[in-house]
Amino acid sequence: MQLGHCRFDIGKGDLINQDTGAVWHLPRAELHVLSLLVEYQGKVVAKSLLESGHEDNSHLSSASVARAIFTLRSFLGPQYESLIETVKGQGYMLRPHRARKETANNWLRQWIRPQQAILIIVLVSVLLAGLWWFNQQRNEATPVLPLSVETVTLKSEQQVDVILYSLSNTNNELLTEQAQQLVKSLQQCPVTIWSRVFVSLSHDKQVLNITLRGDHYGQSLIRNLKISDLRQPKQFVTPQWLAQLNICSTSNGRAAPSNQLQGG
Amino acid sequence: MTRKGLWIINIVILLCLIGCVGMIYSLTSKPTNFMLSCSSELFNHGVAGADSDHYLLVDLVSKDGLAQINYRYYDLEGNSAGTLAMTGKVNKVDTERQMFDISVTTKQEYTGEKGQGTPEHFEYLSYISGLNLNQSGMHSLSVQVLERDETKDYAVVLFQPSNTVCGCRLVH
Repeated sequence: MQLGHCRFDIGKGDLINQDTGAVWHLPRAELHVLSLLVEYQGKVVAKSLLESGHEDNSHLSSASVARAIFTLRSFLGPQYESLIETVKGQGYMLRPHRARKETANNWLRQWIRPQQAILIIVLVSVLLAGLWWFNQQRNEATPVLPLSVETVTLKSEQQVDVILYSLSNTNNELLTEQAQQLVKSLQQCPVTIWSRVFVSLSHDKQVLNITLRGDHYGQSLIRNLKISDLRQPKQFVTPQWLAQLNICSTSNGRAAPSNQLQGG
Repeated sequence: MTRKGLWIINIVILLCLIGCVGMIYSLTSKPTNFMLSCSSELFNHGVAGADSDHYLLVDLVSKDGLAQINYRYYDLEGNSAGTLAMTGKVNKVDTERQMFDISVTTKQEYTGEKGQGTPEHFEYLSYISGLNLNQSGMHSLSVQVLERDETKDYAVVLFQPSNTVCGCRLVH
């Protein structure tokens, strides 16, 4: 039986201080009182019962019981003397107590029950998962959809798709205006090798990007044009310039070094 | 503790382990390797009709989570007019949306041969990337595939945040 830092060996009648190793062989009165208190641990033991004496029917005086309580409390030390509680007018009670090594767990258990611990773990997990998801969502770049798709029909009934890309749906006048110049020039073509035209204006409106895509004998053709204009107002594309560019061509325009390398 | 309580603890621990496995997988899985080669014709409409034209070759290589982007500029005669070599890492590959998220952390600039002027596009790109690298230590960009045909080895991609559309060859 553990009482604070002491172990009570009820068989031998010893109370052992586990910190110092001191063994106290309890005198008759102390052994009797402590045995009864342990037997009724958590309950009030009446003074009359404590005074009733041991198995030999010998009686203890009220002073003997009080002295026994006093010496027992002294041995338990100031830290644990309150284990033996005086219940005024009734008697004494040994408060329920577990080994000191479990004190920390006891304290924790007093505050957190297993169900609460599980709930906390689940809540923390959900919180972490939520943070991870939020972080993923924040970093997630949403794909840009075409601002507009216009199908241009040439004189030969050939159709060319002109697709505009912009980050925003507003303030795209310059892009739309330049794309219209391109559409007008394409409409003048009797035929062209290009089937799709992608147009975008850089975010600071300094560079117009045009990508022409077509097929020639089953081989894909690509031509990228990046146009800067330092003039004001900006005129990235004009009918004359597009004519020079030969967009009505049935071959892949002028050959860039890379195109020669890549056979494009 | 009741049997029910033990089962709950077991399930919670199991879920945590599955979550850890998923996290380890997502952290250790390497992004897809790819290589794009894009050639462009650069036109610079100058004041009073003084145009200066160049060619630009862009190679974008992603291997084992590392990214390298080379911008090589040439004049019409094929002489080098400058090179911007950037290196960084591939942060994320969204195969479903066909998007690649790249962070450039270092760049090197080489000017053209024989003191010839660098193209306007080179200056522009150097300024923008330098601004981002100096401010935040990285120049982030994403590549969105708009159109792709593996059989014909081409892809039309959109670079962000510059909003640049470009047709490229897929190199295997």
